[in-house]
Amino acid sequence: MSNSHNANELIVLTDVVLLTAIVQRGAADLIVQAAQEAGAQGATIFHARGTGIRQKHLGILGLTVNSEKEVIYIVVPSEQADRMFERIFVSAKLDTPGMGILWMTNLEKMATYVPHEVAARFGVHTERHE
Amino acid sequence: MSEHKLRYGLYLGAIQRHERQIGFGQLVDAERNNKAKPKLRPVDLHRLVTPYVSIRFAEQWWAVVPLALMLIGFQALALRTSLLETQQIAIGIFAVILGLMLFMEGVKLGLMPFAENIGFELPGKVHPSVLLLFSLLLGAAATFAEPAIGALQAAAASVSPERAPWLRQLLGPYAHWLVLAVASGVGLAVVLGTLRTIFAWRLKAMVLLIVPPLLLLTAWCAQQPELVAVIGLAWDCGGITTGPVTVPLVLAVGVGVAASVGRSDNPLSGFGVVTLASLIPVIAVLGVAIYLSSQGTAGLLPVLPAASTSWQTQTPFAEILGALRAIVPLVLLLVLVQTLLLRQKIRHQNIFVYGIAVALAGMAIFNLGLTSGLVALGDQAGTNVPWAFSPHRVTGAPPLYPYALGITMTLVFAFAIGYGATVAEPALNAMGVTVENLTDGAFRKRNLIRAVAVGVGVGAAVGVARILFDLPLWLLLVGGYSLALGLTFFSREEMVNLAWDSAGVTTGPVTVPLLLALGIGLGEAVGAAEGFGILAMCSVGPIITVLGTGLWIDLHTRARRRSKQS
Repeated sequence: MSNSHNANELIVLTDVVLLTAIVQRGAADLIVQAAQEAGAQGATIFHARGTGIRQKHLGILGLTVNSEKEVIYIVVPSEQADRMFERIFVSAKLDTPGMGILWMTNLEKMATYVPHEVAARFGVHTERHE
Repeated sequence: MSEHKLRYGLYLGAIQRHERQIGFGQLVDAERNNKAKPKLRPVDLHRLVTPYVSIRFAEQWWAVVPLALMLIGFQALALRTSLLETQQIAIGIFAVILGLMLFMEGVKLGLMPFAENIGFELPGKVHPSVLLLFSLLLGAAATFAEPAIGALQAAAASVSPERAPWLRQLLGPYAHWLVLAVASGVGLAVVLGTLRTIFAWRLKAMVLLIVPPLLLLTAWCAQQPELVAVIGLAWDCGGITTGPVTVPLVLAVGVGVAASVGRSDNPLSGFGVVTLASLIPVIAVLGVAIYLSSQGTAGLLPVLPAASTSWQTQTPFAEILGALRAIVPLVLLLVLVQTLLLRQKIRHQNIFVYGIAVALAGMAIFNLGLTSGLVALGDQAGTNVPWAFSPHRVTGAPPLYPYALGITMTLVFAFAIGYGATVAEPALNAMGVTVENLTDGAFRKRNLIRAVAVGVGVGAAVGVARILFDLPLWLLLVGGYSLALGLTFFSREEMVNLAWDSAGVTTGPVTVPLLLALGIGLGEAVGAAEGFGILAMCSVGPIITVLGTGLWIDLHTRARRRSKQS
């Protein structure tokens, strides 16, 4: 192979943050759309089931909260994270009880497909650095 | 113009949300100490309640409105008659939508958790005979709660007592017998379904065993002059029973039973009960009719006009009483089994009470809207539609179109109603997914929906044609079901399950009253003795089309495989 020196090289992306939101089933599309408008690259949605303590406080109104949930994963660069956090909070209407929960975690590292020419550009840079 | 300076950072700070950090432990502690419920802003209420209501409302809206518009549109465009009592019908239809929405939500919250729990726990705890007894009672009680049952009573008034005396008797003085016959028929069907799950009987064999005697019985009844008129009602009852209460309740129990006897891996374990529940009541109703007519004319009771003086028959009370009568048996049965046999408490009591209350209110509102909305609409359409090819019954106006064109239009209209009512059916969508999986994608979901819709449409057209031309219904039934039996014999077990069950899918609480009223209006307009039978034809149609499509696809894939191998 011509560029065999790339074969045992793994490009790892750093300074990324994972935003996780759990919302009622059906709400995810709206949130993902808002996040993408704010610059998110993509999102992963899981189907899940669960209830939170705060919807039990609602009493009979708790029935309106669907126990079928959607879990949204959005990975963003850490510079964007706070802004994205706020966008998701607002678009998911999390200031109403029972609407869901949102958290953000620092990711140590992340790996995915990186376009060849971009990789080459950064690859040169890191090689020289080391 | 003077300049007012504002630091950009200050501005951003004003419009952005500020983060305030609180330890999660502190929050939990604070909530533990302070048990008061949070105060909700109006916007919170809106955010919580609006989606909850609108999703459920839209579900029923799509089941009712397109069909109603089709009926109104045909009258307006083809017959150039506008609807009478528009306001009343509009309110009635709205009540039907609202009632169905509340009723279904109530059943889901109040009854389904019981049925699932009982279905899962009961088989291990009691003797099988008790389980079968419970199945019997559950089937019967669920039938009482079926919203479409009320449509039968509404149909009674138009049956002529001279030409179809026993039919009138069954719908009038002996209405309780009729409902009991249907209920016990469904009960027996659920028992058979439970046995089938336990012993893994094949539906194909059961169908081949049950249907031929049923057809013989029908043919025999057709030879008795006093029983001919009852055949349509009996076969229609089969379609009425398989509605939105019976099917999920029975399925919930059936799935539990299947799981507890270790057959939950079979994707078909839920199927078959619908088929049985639409066949056995036919036998029961025919049996009751035979028994009653064997009593001779002494058994004929005077057909009393409904007494309108007592408070029990006045508008809000009659509907509330009807709702109580429909739901209370089912609730009692489930609660008693749960507390006495399983010795378990009722969990989430407030949700249970809310569910039952909502179901009751929904049933009452549905009944209010049923007569003034759906039945009135169907009846008007039935009265007006023959005007396309024959003089108007009321005004005596000449037919609008030449005979052949008018008849064709009427039949196309019937087909469109059947087709349209089916395509919108959400249960069919779920069934389509199962079919795709079972046939490895050869039988597509779209094809199934189309096959069922064409079957129902053709069935509706044949049913209408038989009322218009006064064809013998029993011949159509025997012919249709013989064809279905023939196809069944050559089909795979999976396809048999799906095809026979698809027949029950389309007869929901909206289609049944509309089609019943349409048929009865048509029957009156052309002077037939009775207008039943459309629903029966709508049931046999999809069996034939789905089995036919299944066989054709099987042959096709087999031929393709063979040509690939050679």
